[in-house]
Amino acid sequence: MDLLNRILYDAVYHMTPILLCVLGGLFAYKAGVLNIALEGMMLAGSFISVLVAMYTQNALLIYLSSIFVCVVLGLVFAFLAVNKRGNVIIIGLAINMIIPAVAGFVLQTMGVPNLTAKWINPAMFRIDIPLIKDIPILGRLFSGHPLGTYISFFMIFVAAVLLYKTKFGIYTRVVGERPLAAKSLGIRSNLYATLAILIGALLCAVAGLNLSYERLGIYTNGMTAGRGFIAIAAIYCGKGEPVKSSLYAFIFGIARALAINLSIRAGGVAALFDIIPYLLMIIILAINSGFQIRNYRMRTYW
Amino acid sequence: MNRFNLVKLANSLLPVAFALLIGAGIMVGMGHNPLEAYGIMFGRSLFTVRGLTNTLHMASPLILAGLAIAVTFRANLFNMGVEGQLLFGGFMAGIVGAYIQMSSPLLHKLLAFLAAAAAGMLFALLPALLRAFLRVDEMVVTLTLNYVMMTILEYLASGPFRNQGAGYVSTNTIRETAMFSRIGNTRLTPFFIISVIIFLLMWFLQKKTRFGYTVEAIGKNPQFSEATGLRVRRNIVKLMLISGALAGIAGAGHMMSHEFNYTLSFSGNPGIGWDGMLISLLGGHSPLGVLIAAVFYSSLKTGADNINLYTGIPKEIVAIIQGLIILFLSIQLIEQRFGPVKRWRAKRQMKEAERGSVE
Repeated sequence: MDLLNRILYDAVYHMTPILLCVLGGLFAYKAGVLNIALEGMMLAGSFISVLVAMYTQNALLIYLSSIFVCVVLGLVFAFLAVNKRGNVIIIGLAINMIIPAVAGFVLQTMGVPNLTAKWINPAMFRIDIPLIKDIPILGRLFSGHPLGTYISFFMIFVAAVLLYKTKFGIYTRVVGERPLAAKSLGIRSNLYATLAILIGALLCAVAGLNLSYERLGIYTNGMTAGRGFIAIAAIYCGKGEPVKSSLYAFIFGIARALAINLSIRAGGVAALFDIIPYLLMIIILAINSGFQIRNYRMRTYW
Repeated sequence: MNRFNLVKLANSLLPVAFALLIGAGIMVGMGHNPLEAYGIMFGRSLFTVRGLTNTLHMASPLILAGLAIAVTFRANLFNMGVEGQLLFGGFMAGIVGAYIQMSSPLLHKLLAFLAAAAAGMLFALLPALLRAFLRVDEMVVTLTLNYVMMTILEYLASGPFRNQGAGYVSTNTIRETAMFSRIGNTRLTPFFIISVIIFLLMWFLQKKTRFGYTVEAIGKNPQFSEATGLRVRRNIVKLMLISGALAGIAGAGHMMSHEFNYTLSFSGNPGIGWDGMLISLLGGHSPLGVLIAAVFYSSLKTGADNINLYTGIPKEIVAIIQGLIILFLSIQLIEQRFGPVKRWRAKRQMKEAERGSVE
């Protein structure tokens, strides 16, 4: 029971940054721009939050500064990808390369191996929710997490409503699915694509904050460890639908939690648990796609 | 050289110039002399015998990694798994080099290369088949398989194949028969010559054979190619296998000429596979371009160490410059088809047409 509780708690813990990235990235995905830079933006959020936290304890300032930097990155991405029609994959890779380089540069200049905000004690960010806290299993899932986790839960609904119930969401989807139709209706495609990318940047900042500032108060280079790419995979598997994609993010969280908690019993082999979600994802993609192309009768290539 | 090629060349050179300029700006901001820093960086990596041979030595796996990516780019495929394939190839070469005993150095190396190429091909086969027959995006599959590969190799290197004597995670050092020896007292090894030979082969394959033209056609319009009777699926699988094999060989060569055992930082950070991506972009996906870009890139890499050694500038500055180069490469700084005048005319015509249709 104790083990189960810990696994569930860890699953949510590891899911949070991925979930935030998923929810941010799916807007751009729906607008037809694949945002590979999620990883770099998240890292930027982590870096700036701890950097600022070293000099001030003002939470609002910490949040705002890291959101600001990520939004600037989002604007650069949007300008090159949307206005200049650059190759989005290459832009994303470039941002993913520049951020750790800049962070490493700053670390080198300051002469430290990693950033630490000493006043941060992760326990003080944990928020217990009064009633839910005492329910056996739900309590571990929904209580005792930092703010970022609650934002991520909340954002699932916000994203779903935004995408399917508002003008903004509908226009964004049209821009992605039928660019020419959008143009003929006079929808300003560039504006909607840019906004979609900026939402992604914003949530990546929150993901980064969660990863470094809320959990540890420490920044090390490369601490995002491919979470942005996992998020992209989850978006692909869920076809950009908020609830479905979130489910995949949760699967990743569970796998991670299993890998960590079982490594105590199983030893090194438990590390291999980490590859299960990836393989699962590839299988799901293959099955999905296989069903789609089943109806093709002509000898053709897509 | 006609106009088209000139524009192409400018589109490769301008991003480098811009990136170096911004890098210089950062250095000035920190109170360093950028000219001195760049002088040390390129002077010591290109214009001394020692530096140049060093650069060429480091360029050997980069050439192959660049070719591995360029070859798939031409067909509009994105093999983002080059890094994973390279690691797998390097690891397999390390295992063959360390655990198999052979008297002939030549055969031993050949066996290691074969194992590495097979490993790279095996890794590339799954995304290739999924892409060709189930229409699964090969980019996502290769990206995720990279992580799978890294996790598996980390487990293997720190578990079953760990060198118990070492204080850090590493496999056993390969036997002497599997090590490339240096040429003269430079750091160059015969692996560089192998790289150049493979480069020539790839150049021949792309420019002079039917397969090369088929790839070109598939890249331009796969549906049309299929309709005219080119076997697109079969060629996609072939192409990915070639790419995987090249990446595997790059890893094996890096293992046998530079690293000699598999550690967790085997291909550096960012890895050789990712460097190959930039090299391919910089070289415009043509074999000759890749060769030149690989040497340039390698000079940046060896130059980074010198910059750290001789000036107070952190060597991350080079990584920033690399990232900026890629960022600027992502867009066409100069339009390929129209000059600015023609573009302006086309725009005006379109506007007039729009106005006409409204009326």
